[in-house]
Amino acid sequence: MLDQPQLPVAQRTNPERSFTEEVRALRLGEGEIFRGEGILAVTKAILQAGVAYVGGYQGAPVSHLVDVLVESQDLLDELGVHLETCTNESSAAALLGASINYPIRGCVTWKSIVGTNIAADALSNLASPGVIGGALIVIGEDYGEGASVIQERAHAYALKSSLWLMDPRPSLPTIVRCTETAFELSEATNTPVMMELRIRACHVTGEFVAKDNKPPAISRNHRLADPAAHNYDRISHPPSTYAHEKIKVEVRQPAAERFIVEHGLNEFLPGKRSDLGIIVQGGITNVLVRGLDRLELEGRIPTLVLNVTHPLVPEQIADFCRGKRAVLIVEEGAPDYIEQAIHAILRKRDVDTKIYGKDVLPMAGEYTAEVVTEGLLKFFAQSANDIDLSKPRERFEAARAGRTEAQRLLGGPLPLRPPGFCVGCPERPVFSAIKLLEREVGKVHISSDIGCHSFATLAPFNLGNSILGFGMSLAAAGAVAPVLERRTISVMGDGGFWHNGLLSGVASAMFNRGDRILVIMQNGYTSATGAQFIPNTAGNRRDGETTSDIAATLKAMGVKWLRTIRTYNVATMLGGLREAMNTPDKGLKVIVADGECQLARQRRIRPQIAAQLKRGERVVRTRYGVDDEVCTGDHSCIRLSGCPSLVVKPSPDPLRSDPVAHVNNGCVGCGLCGEVADAAVLCPSFYKADIVQNATWWDRLKWRVRSSVIEAMAGA
Amino acid sequence: MSRPVTLLIGALGGDGGGVLCDWIVSAAQSQGLGVQATQIPGVAQRTGATTYYLEVMLARGLSSSVLALNPAIGEVDVALATELLEAGRMIFNGFVTPERTTLIASTHRVLAIGERMAMGDGSFDVGRLLRAVKERSKEQILFDMDQAAEESGGVINAVLLGALAGSGRLPIPDAAFEASIRHAGKSVDTNLAAFAFGRGHARGELEQAVREHRKRQAAGHGVEDLLERARRAFPAASLDMVEEGVRRLATYQDKAYATLYLDRLDTVQALGSPELLRETARHLAVRMSFEDVIRVAQAKTSAERLVRVRSEVRAKEHEPLEITEHFKPGIEEIAAVLPPALARRLIGWAERTGRLGKVYFSMHVRTTTIWGFARLRFLASLRWWRPRTFRFVEEQAEIERWLSSIRAAAPLSVDLAREIAESARLIKGYGDTYKRGLQNYHRIADEVIAPTLAGRMAPCAAADAVANARVAALADPEGESLSKTLAAIASSATLRHAAE
Repeated sequence: MLDQPQLPVAQRTNPERSFTEEVRALRLGEGEIFRGEGILAVTKAILQAGVAYVGGYQGAPVSHLVDVLVESQDLLDELGVHLETCTNESSAAALLGASINYPIRGCVTWKSIVGTNIAADALSNLASPGVIGGALIVIGEDYGEGASVIQERAHAYALKSSLWLMDPRPSLPTIVRCTETAFELSEATNTPVMMELRIRACHVTGEFVAKDNKPPAISRNHRLADPAAHNYDRISHPPSTYAHEKIKVEVRQPAAERFIVEHGLNEFLPGKRSDLGIIVQGGITNVLVRGLDRLELEGRIPTLVLNVTHPLVPEQIADFCRGKRAVLIVEEGAPDYIEQAIHAILRKRDVDTKIYGKDVLPMAGEYTAEVVTEGLLKFFAQSANDIDLSKPRERFEAARAGRTEAQRLLGGPLPLRPPGFCVGCPERPVFSAIKLLEREVGKVHISSDIGCHSFATLAPFNLGNSILGFGMSLAAAGAVAPVLERRTISVMGDGGFWHNGLLSGVASAMFNRGDRILVIMQNGYTSATGAQFIPNTAGNRRDGETTSDIAATLKAMGVKWLRTIRTYNVATMLGGLREAMNTPDKGLKVIVADGECQLARQRRIRPQIAAQLKRGERVVRTRYGVDDEVCTGDHSCIRLSGCPSLVVKPSPDPLRSDPVAHVNNGCVGCGLCGEVADAAVLCPSFYKADIVQNATWWDRLKWRVRSSVIEAMAGA
Repeated sequence: MSRPVTLLIGALGGDGGGVLCDWIVSAAQSQGLGVQATQIPGVAQRTGATTYYLEVMLARGLSSSVLALNPAIGEVDVALATELLEAGRMIFNGFVTPERTTLIASTHRVLAIGERMAMGDGSFDVGRLLRAVKERSKEQILFDMDQAAEESGGVINAVLLGALAGSGRLPIPDAAFEASIRHAGKSVDTNLAAFAFGRGHARGELEQAVREHRKRQAAGHGVEDLLERARRAFPAASLDMVEEGVRRLATYQDKAYATLYLDRLDTVQALGSPELLRETARHLAVRMSFEDVIRVAQAKTSAERLVRVRSEVRAKEHEPLEITEHFKPGIEEIAAVLPPALARRLIGWAERTGRLGKVYFSMHVRTTTIWGFARLRFLASLRWWRPRTFRFVEEQAEIERWLSSIRAAAPLSVDLAREIAESARLIKGYGDTYKRGLQNYHRIADEVIAPTLAGRMAPCAAADAVANARVAALADPEGESLSKTLAAIASSATLRHAAE
């Protein structure tokens, strides 16, 4: 865990980036101007709202919330806020259990939809008894361009568990206000509140007027003498659960509807065209307003902005629609929960306004500027043909025609830039080894997982048959292995191992005597989310103590076939895989592929090396190179590695046209290209260069003697 | 309402697009301009493409109007790209338009993985990119920002910021941009230098010398008489290839070998097509200078190479350098330098005992030590022995077969002959790569070239077929594309044959 008390705060530096500026922003007081990103504004807002505890599991786009707080330990100490860097979302959701019995405010965060899936059990059991202290769940709605997960809506969870869902308009003052009010709403209705922020909203920059942070009345600085009295009503167990179910719909939901209206959480944007209207999710408002502006209709159409998308307030909706000919619902994603609900609300009240929504806008996919503009054009064409939209339509069509022309000029799709492994990544060699293994034994079923290693499913490796979720790769091979001749390989990161894989995967495979291979990438961080620390992060990598060791854990669980192999050694890794594939041992075979995340390592050692050089100490810099005269331009080495620093350049040979491989100056000297050239018997082009900086007199003497002899021997 | 200036930035992970975005935001804020930025970092943070979108109000004070979070097609005022393909991507997606967009982009290319992993040259046509850039944007500020960054000692994002300042598209003075670099506090001096470079280029105050790519000619001493013979015998258009061939082969082997090269070319010259002669001259020189351990040792121990490695790895003048070569010869590489009879027996034995393609000798030779260098130098000195080796004999036979099929094809169709000549391109590399290339060539020779020369396929169709098969052979190392293409060629030939 990151917030271990024995670890001096000064040493707790996140290797991904430093948050000095952000930490300063969290300390702003009454009346000062906060400037920064959306997710940082949320972080400031929860401190202003007086949270007593914060937790979360990292994932784009909300990692920053916890990351920044990890570096703000001094501030949290002053305020008395407890921070928990949870090992998965389930554990984060369970943290909110503190607000069931105690009037303390808490906030947790994760990436959705995946995180909400993991947290679902705890959320149900939290929502049932309800809370007395405000409970806020900030979910990063990873949807649309740049998303890395399956495209589903968190909305479903709000509906089924009776959690309130906020979807604030992406402007910092609105986001901050919604965050602060969410705690009040939660307390007024005894219900946890979810607040969804899309990717662009998390990263949107802006400013708002800050308030002082509020130290919580009950906190780790002000402890209670006694625990809460036993109250069976607060336990989600029958018969309490039968009562809870009724209270949710009979008491809490009506209270929430009242609160939403009384506090003006939803916004009304006026417009002259009283016969028309638009109802929009708060998060999509900017796209909508700009779309209306494009049609020269901004400020003319009455609009209801739903900063709270569950519950809807039936009377508010009905009042808005009453007397209008047509109303457009702008609701991103499928299914169309809001549109269906609005239909029901109006039907029950005999309001005969024609509702447009997913008939003029697409059912699935991100609502980009272009999509919304096209939907608006259709909506107005069908509902208000008195509005002349010929000019804007012409402009819109011209822009589209221009794009078609541009695509014709470029002649077909451009080369894609899929994410890949960083320069010197310790995970790349494992996949090089798996590729070489496949040359020997034939194709292998690869069960992939979430994490940087999932990039192996893309070029140049193209390895992987399925991804079933975080830490699920071993479990996902459970019924594949018995029907295949060759053993399956499941790949899992150490992040995934601690998140879920240990129990869902390893324990289950052991229990069922699964004859499978598991490769655990032990790089020491959850690297894909910004290099957060995890239980096995080794002491020397974080200057603190390791809480749990993967190999020791596996041994304790009874894993018999266990190898820890340094990843960069491709030949040894290949040997390990070969042995795991061929051994008569029928149990689970685990290879712990060990190699520190290179990105984190570089951030750690670069300043150290710079300091050494400055002090005049001897430092050997290693990097690799390709002899362009020896390389013939087949690029096998690239297909087996894909290292970003292994590039191509024009052949220096006047007789050859194929470009040759080249190692650029990004090389960190991990040695993989040499290892691959060796293990795959590629070619003699690669060389390793060790450059001695601040050489000693002995280095220099040796070098001078050798150089003079070699120069004399050298050929033309 | 007053319209904001919209900016879209396309960058690669690691280019510092986020920092660039922060600089612009803080410079705009310092001028009291309303500004909003957002980004899509996603999982693309490592090697993928990232985009950033900004809106800057031209008037002071934050306008009440809503700033958008998404770029819209046809509504981008300034598009910035740290790399040429990413500029192309913004154009492809319709964001860059000739009515409105100032395109500020670096002209250098960072090849995507799909382009790099191709078995030959897989890079996207730069000509197409540049044409789209010119035709699909209103104004352009284009130069090699990667080079400018290197020359200034800074990073590319600062060059781009400088170019943006130089474009004058934002009402923000240079001093405000510079102040935001200073305020960020990291690598301030180099970033300011890079900024100045970018601004200078954008304003046309600086000239950029195009980074040249130089081909290296073989040295080749004492072959003036052979060059003279070539000049007399061959058309001027082919001489660049022929002369390089002569020089290379004289260095690779000896003058007699270079003479053999010219003798072989005489027979191609007789076919009457200068283009065919040029292509054959090119490939013949490459084939005759096939890669064996002697050639590798020659390349690794040349005086020029030591200098080249030092500069490539950026070793400073006084810094000692140690070079370690990665060699892994197998039984075939050893057999290659033995006399044919002995080599065949060795390979036969290795095949019988299952050692062929299995047993290799991993050697890490340090060419910066006297002993390591001397060993390679000794190998390089075995040039005189080469004509007696198994590999040499085999290669000459292959070359003769290839040349004779060119000669046989030329009277039927010069195009076909040229395609056959060009197919030699498949044969390259070492170990498995070499074997795979040779096999692919043989498949094309057996399944397309031989039937055509035997009159079972129309020569003009065969020319296309050979070209297609060659492209297919370079499509995937597993040979699946080649198999499919050859099957399609065979079936269409049968059809045509039946139709006739």
